[in-house]
Amino acid sequence: MAKILIVDDSRTSRKMLRNILESNGHEIIDEAVNGQEGVQKFQALKPDVVTLDITMPIVDGVEALKMIKALDPESKVVMVTAAGQKNKMIECIKAGANEFLTKPFEQQEIVDVINKMSN
Amino acid sequence: MFDQIFGNYLVKTGTITKEQLSDVIESESKVRVKLGLIAVAEKLMTTEQADEVNNLQAIMDRRFGDIAVEKGYLTEAQVGSLLKKQGNIYMIFVQNLIDKGLMTLEQIDEALKNYQDQQGFTHSDMDDLVSGDVDRTVKLFLPSNTELCDKHCGIAIRTFLRIINSSAYVSKAYLTDTLKIDNFAMQQLAGDHNIYAGFAGTGNSLLAIANPFADEEFESVDLDALDAVGEFTNCINGLFASELGNEGVDMDMLPPAFYEKASRITGNQFCVFPIHVGEQEISFILAIDSTISVN
Repeated sequence: MAKILIVDDSRTSRKMLRNILESNGHEIIDEAVNGQEGVQKFQALKPDVVTLDITMPIVDGVEALKMIKALDPESKVVMVTAAGQKNKMIECIKAGANEFLTKPFEQQEIVDVINKMSN
Repeated sequence: MFDQIFGNYLVKTGTITKEQLSDVIESESKVRVKLGLIAVAEKLMTTEQADEVNNLQAIMDRRFGDIAVEKGYLTEAQVGSLLKKQGNIYMIFVQNLIDKGLMTLEQIDEALKNYQDQQGFTHSDMDDLVSGDVDRTVKLFLPSNTELCDKHCGIAIRTFLRIINSSAYVSKAYLTDTLKIDNFAMQQLAGDHNIYAGFAGTGNSLLAIANPFADEEFESVDLDALDAVGEFTNCINGLFASELGNEGVDMDMLPPAFYEKASRITGNQFCVFPIHVGEQEISFILAIDSTISVN
């Protein structure tokens, strides 16, 4: 079981992720609605895994990833992306993203990725 | 989509009732099985392979058969044979109308001719309509605008049918500079082109997207429901940006924007593509290389 922080500006996506992860035995320790709040909560809560949406207002997922990796290079960050964000994904890989999840969500893919991260 | 488009024309002209149309369409689902199920039943694919292709369809905007061939699970010839087994929706619809005693073949022919005249369709257009092919059908209803508009609308409708409601159908799209709305969820794509794309509705029509996409029962189009519509829009725009990316066109998606109590969309010229789900009408809004504003 992993302690997970969900960072996504979409309530719909946060709820979908929470439902899938909780029903598979993981604990959602908190949620954040933009990158800035996500970084603050990461520092305060030290989650096992962070799911980080790429497209967000205020501070987007790419910038938040860089901040989180600067705080803790060993942190496990799963980037959440829609199809068609190839350039952003390359930027995320360079910044140290551990895994990617693509919207619309597929339950098994989410479970497999988070299980892999938490082992 | 032929069954819904032509069937609703028959209802509007008083040829059959709404209840009779529902009955005919319900009968179709009993005889028309999904391609993946036929492939598994024919032992051409395993259940796992069919599930894998179905999952890939959600993020790739490709047809089941195309993905299965690419993965090496089926050959082109096998896909052709499976499509024949699945049956043409036009033939099934016409057969059901006759079997249920609602219309004769002559009456159906006459109604098709009247529909063709009303829409201003050519014989070739009618071939596209009865083909059952979503891409060929969608193009018939789009204004002669741009290749980008065709591509984006095509992806929107295919994704709508796949994720939201397989019984949805479209009517003629049009270009306008103003549209009266109550609510709107949209997203801007910036880069080599500047594009605004999203869904607008009146009353609670957008719940036809929000409820199935979020798997919730919203009672009105509030910000949470619009968030779900925005996420669905994000999926469509992602598929579109992905396709453009393969052609070397760079697009960046901005966070979706929501308008809960709006009155109208205005702009230079934007495309409105009506999508019908049961009694509800939703508008897919698309402005390519022009701006829109919402009041």
